[in-house]
Amino acid sequence: MKNKRTAAIYHLILIAGALTMVIPFFWMVSTSFKALKEVFVFPPTFFGDKIIWQNYLKVSDRYPFGLFFLNSIKISFFVVFAQLLTSSMAGFAFSRIKFKGREALFSLYLGTLIVPFHVTLVPTFLIMKYFGWIDSHLSIIIPSLVSAFGTFLMRQFFLTIPEELENAARIDGCNPAMIYLMIFLPLTKPALATLGVFTFMGIWNDFIRPLVFINSIPKMTVPLGLATMQGMYSTDWPVLMAGTVISLIPVLVAFIAAQEYFVRGVTLSGLKG
Amino acid sequence: MSMKKLAQSNNFWAFIFLAPNLLGFLAFLLIPVVASFGLSFVEWDLLSPMKWVGFKNYIGLFHDQVFLRVLWNTVYYTLGTVPVGIALSLLLAIALNKKLRGMKIYRALYFLPVISSYVAVAVVWQWLYNAEFGLLNYLLSLIGIRGPSWLSSTKWAMPAVMVTSIWKQLGFNMLLFLAGLQGIPSTYYEAAEIDGAGKWTQFSRITVPLLSSTTFFVVVMSIINSFQVFDQVFIMTEGGPARSTSVLVHYLYQNAFEYFKMGNASAIAYILFFLVFLITMLQMKFSDNWVIY
Amino acid sequence: MKKILVVLITLLLAAASVTAEGKSDAKGSESRSGVTTLKFMGWEASPLETESVKNGLAVFEQQNPGIKVEYTPVAGDYVAKLLTMMAGDSAPDVFFIAADQYRAFQKRNVLLDITDHMNQELNIDEFIPLVQEKMLIGDRVYGISSCNVSPVMFYNKDLFDAAGLSYPPSDPDKAWTWDEFVDVAKKLTITDGNRTTQFGATGFEVAWGWVFPPMVMSNGGSVLSDDYSKVTLNSSQSKEVFNAIRDLRFKHHVAPDVAFVEQSGMSAAQMLQTGRVAMMVDGSWALQQLATMDFPIGIGVLPIFDKPATVGQAHLHAAWAKTKHPEEAWKLIKFLSSEDYQLSNIRAGLWLPNRKELYKEENLSKWINPDVYPEDFGNIVKYFTSYGKLWPGVVANREAYDIINEEKDRFYAGDTSVDEMMANIDKRTANL
Repeated sequence: MKNKRTAAIYHLILIAGALTMVIPFFWMVSTSFKALKEVFVFPPTFFGDKIIWQNYLKVSDRYPFGLFFLNSIKISFFVVFAQLLTSSMAGFAFSRIKFKGREALFSLYLGTLIVPFHVTLVPTFLIMKYFGWIDSHLSIIIPSLVSAFGTFLMRQFFLTIPEELENAARIDGCNPAMIYLMIFLPLTKPALATLGVFTFMGIWNDFIRPLVFINSIPKMTVPLGLATMQGMYSTDWPVLMAGTVISLIPVLVAFIAAQEYFVRGVTLSGLKG
Repeated sequence: MSMKKLAQSNNFWAFIFLAPNLLGFLAFLLIPVVASFGLSFVEWDLLSPMKWVGFKNYIGLFHDQVFLRVLWNTVYYTLGTVPVGIALSLLLAIALNKKLRGMKIYRALYFLPVISSYVAVAVVWQWLYNAEFGLLNYLLSLIGIRGPSWLSSTKWAMPAVMVTSIWKQLGFNMLLFLAGLQGIPSTYYEAAEIDGAGKWTQFSRITVPLLSSTTFFVVVMSIINSFQVFDQVFIMTEGGPARSTSVLVHYLYQNAFEYFKMGNASAIAYILFFLVFLITMLQMKFSDNWVIY
Repeated sequence: MKKILVVLITLLLAAASVTAEGKSDAKGSESRSGVTTLKFMGWEASPLETESVKNGLAVFEQQNPGIKVEYTPVAGDYVAKLLTMMAGDSAPDVFFIAADQYRAFQKRNVLLDITDHMNQELNIDEFIPLVQEKMLIGDRVYGISSCNVSPVMFYNKDLFDAAGLSYPPSDPDKAWTWDEFVDVAKKLTITDGNRTTQFGATGFEVAWGWVFPPMVMSNGGSVLSDDYSKVTLNSSQSKEVFNAIRDLRFKHHVAPDVAFVEQSGMSAAQMLQTGRVAMMVDGSWALQQLATMDFPIGIGVLPIFDKPATVGQAHLHAAWAKTKHPEEAWKLIKFLSSEDYQLSNIRAGLWLPNRKELYKEENLSKWINPDVYPEDFGNIVKYFTSYGKLWPGVVANREAYDIINEEKDRFYAGDTSVDEMMANIDKRTANL
C-alpha cells in the first residue's frame, strides 16, 4: 500500500464485509450462552441476562458427545492424509504423465462428481454390506480415501507449474517419482493446504453416509449427534449451539494451521528456486 | 521390455501414480454411479422386485410439469449464483492477498460462513428476511420501500436463497483463488513494475492468465455444485412456497424417498448428469482458448 | 451403446444378487443364553420423547427378561435410512413409522401383519375412531398407533384480558363461528403506524397442509373420496374456506404472513409468549413447551363454519415383515402402546391419548396434569373422540397431497384465484 489513507479505506471495506460474515457465527456463540427462553425474543438480543456456561456441559448429558468427537477425529485423520496422498499422486499423473486414455479416464473422474450422492446411496449401501462394513467406521473411511474433487484440484494446480522446471530435473536424471516428491509437492503447498482444509471440512461435516451406515450410538459422529439434538417438535437451541460451536473449533484450527502454508508457498514458488 | 525401459515408460509411471486412487475410485465411486445409471431404466420402489422399463422414466419426466419446473429453477439458481459468486470471490481473494496487517484474521473471518452449520445460517437469514421484523425490510423501510415477505413469496424466495448461498460459499472459492494467487511468482509483478505496467495491466496480463487454471477449476466445480444444490433449499424453504425453490436434487430426493420411485429419481440424476457433463466437456474443450498452462 | 447397456444390466443384476445372497446381519440377534436382541429404530421428536423411549425400554426389559432392545435414534432423513436398510435386507426388527408413510410401506409388503395378535390380545375398538381408521388397512393391522396429535387453538389469556374479550371456547359444541372468530381477531390486532405489533390470529396456512382439512370438513366439504382414491377438494364449500383463510391476511389484515411462524425460528409458544400473536392454531404437542413458560395459556377449539371438526394423526410402531423374532417384536409393539409407555408423554403435554379408556370422565385425572394443562381442558376432550377425523394426508397418495399443498401455497401467496387453484388440483391429480 502506497499510503496510509488508502490502507485505511481498504481496512474499512474489509471490516464492513467481515461483519456480515460474522453475524451468524456470532449468533451461534451468543445463543450458546443464553437461557432457552431468551433465544427468540424480539427485537433479537445478542446477550442474555447472564452467561450460562452450563450449556456447554449439557452437550454430553444425553449422548456421549466426547465419544462422537473422538470418532470424528479418528475418521478425519485417516481420510485427510490419505486423500492428500492419493489426490496429489493421481493429479500428478493426470497433469504430467502422458498415457493412453488419459483424457477419457479423467472425464470419468469428473463424471462421478456430477452424480448426486442420494441416487448412489442404495448401491453404495449394498457394497458396504458386501464388505461387512455396515455399522463400522470403515464404511465412512474407506470410500473417502479417494476423491475425484481432490484429484481434479491437484491436477489443476500441477498444470500451472512451468514445464522448464520439470525438464531441468529430467536432464539431471530425476524420474517422475523424484520430480513429484522434490519439485511438485513443495511447490504446491498452498494447494495441498487448501485441499487439506476442504477434505477435513467435508469429512468432519459428512452427514448422510454416517446416518445411513452407522446404527449404534457409540459409533456415531459429531454431525449425527448434533442432528439428533435437533428435535422435530422442540429443540434446546442453546445446547445445540454449544455443541455446534465446539464442533466448529477443529475446522477453524485446521484453517488457521493451513494459513501458515500459504505464506510459505509464496516464498518457495519463485522460479529461481 | 527390459526393466530399464519399463522404468522409463510413461504407462508404467502412470500406473504407479494412479493405482491407489484408481482402486478406490472403481470400487466406491464408479460402481455405484454405473449401478444407479442402470436404475434409471427400471421401475423400482426399493422394496419390490425391479421391472425393466427402458426409457420410460426419461420420457415420463419430460412430460412431468413439476420436473420441468424444478429443472428451470435449478438453471435459474445456477445463473443467479455462479457468475456473481465467482466474480465476488475473485475480488475478495485479490483483496485478501495484499500484504497488509491483519490479513490472516480477515481471511479467517471471511471463511467463517463456509464452516458454519447450515442450520444456524438458516435461522439467522430467516430472521433477516422476516417480513415483519426482519432487518432487511427495516432497512428498506428507511428509504420508503415496503419489502415483500421474502421467503413466502413465490417470486422472491428463490433470489433470497441465492443471496444466502452466494454469501455462504464466498469463502470457499476465495480460498481456492487465494491458493492460486499465492502460486504466482512475485518476480512477475516486480518485473512488470520495472517495465512501468499499471495495476490494471498487471491484473489483466499477469493475474488473470496465470490464475486461469484455478479459475477453470472454480467455474467447473461451481456449476457442478449449483446443479446439485440441496441443503440450503431443504433447510430454508423445503422447496416452497409452491415449489418456487424446489430444485432437481430436491425433486430427486422426493421421488426416491417419499414417492418410492427410485427409477424416476435415477433418471432425474442422469438428466442432470448429461446436462452438466455436456457443459463441463464444452468447458474442457474451450478451455484451451483461455486457460494457460 | 448396446454393449454399455449389457454391461450395466449385468452390474445391476450383480448388485441385486448381492442383496439376495448377502448374509443378513442377524448374528447379533441370535439368542445367546436365551436372550433375544431386538433392533429398534426411531427418531427424536423432542428431548423429552427420547427420554421416555429410554425409560420405557428399561421397563420393558425388566418385564421381559428374555429380550434385550437396542435402540437407535435417527436424526433427519429417517425414511431414506429405513428404505435403504430394507433394500439392503438389513432393517431393524421394530421401528417408528410416520402415519403418512405407513400405507406406502405396507403396500410393499414390508410390514409384519399383526392382526391376529391384535385380535387375541387387544381390541381395535379400544382406540378412538380416528386412530382405528389410521391403523386399519382393509381389515388388517400392521402397526399400532403411538398416540394422537391434533390441531387446536392456543391463545394468550393476558392479551384477551387486556382487550376485555372473552376467551375462545374449549367446548366444541360452543365453538365460535368463523365470523365471530374474525371479529375477535380484528379486536386483537394492534397497529403502530403501518406496522402491526400484535396480530389477532395465525396458523391456518401451515405449509404441510393439516389445518385446512378440518376447516373444509367443518363446512361440509371433503378432501378425499371415501375410498381415499380421488381428490374431492373442488367444491363450493372448500372454496369458501380457502377464501376465508386468505382473507385473514388480504382483507382483514389480522394475520401475519405464512412464513412468519415457520421461518422466524420461533415456535408457537414463543409467538404467544412475546405477544406477537393472540391466537394461534398449532399441534397439540406445543403444550409441552408452553407449560414451561410463565404466561397464562389457554386452549380452544378451531372456529367452525357449520359443525366442529379437527383432524388427528401420529406415528405408529411396526415390525419388519422379515424379522426373525416376530413374537418378541409383537411384545415390544404391544408394550409401546401401553399406558406404562405413553403416560409420561401425555402428562407432559406432548401427546394426546389414543385409547377411549383414558378419555373417560373418571380417567381424565390420570393424565390431565394441572401443571401443564389449562383447567378447562376436560371440556375439549370430546373434540378428539367425537369430532376428530383422520388427517387426509395419512391416506392420500403422497404426490397428490404434495400437489394440493403446492397449489394451496400458490393461492395463499396471491398468485392464483380459488377457481384456478381447484382447476389445477383436479387437472394435476387426475392421472395419479
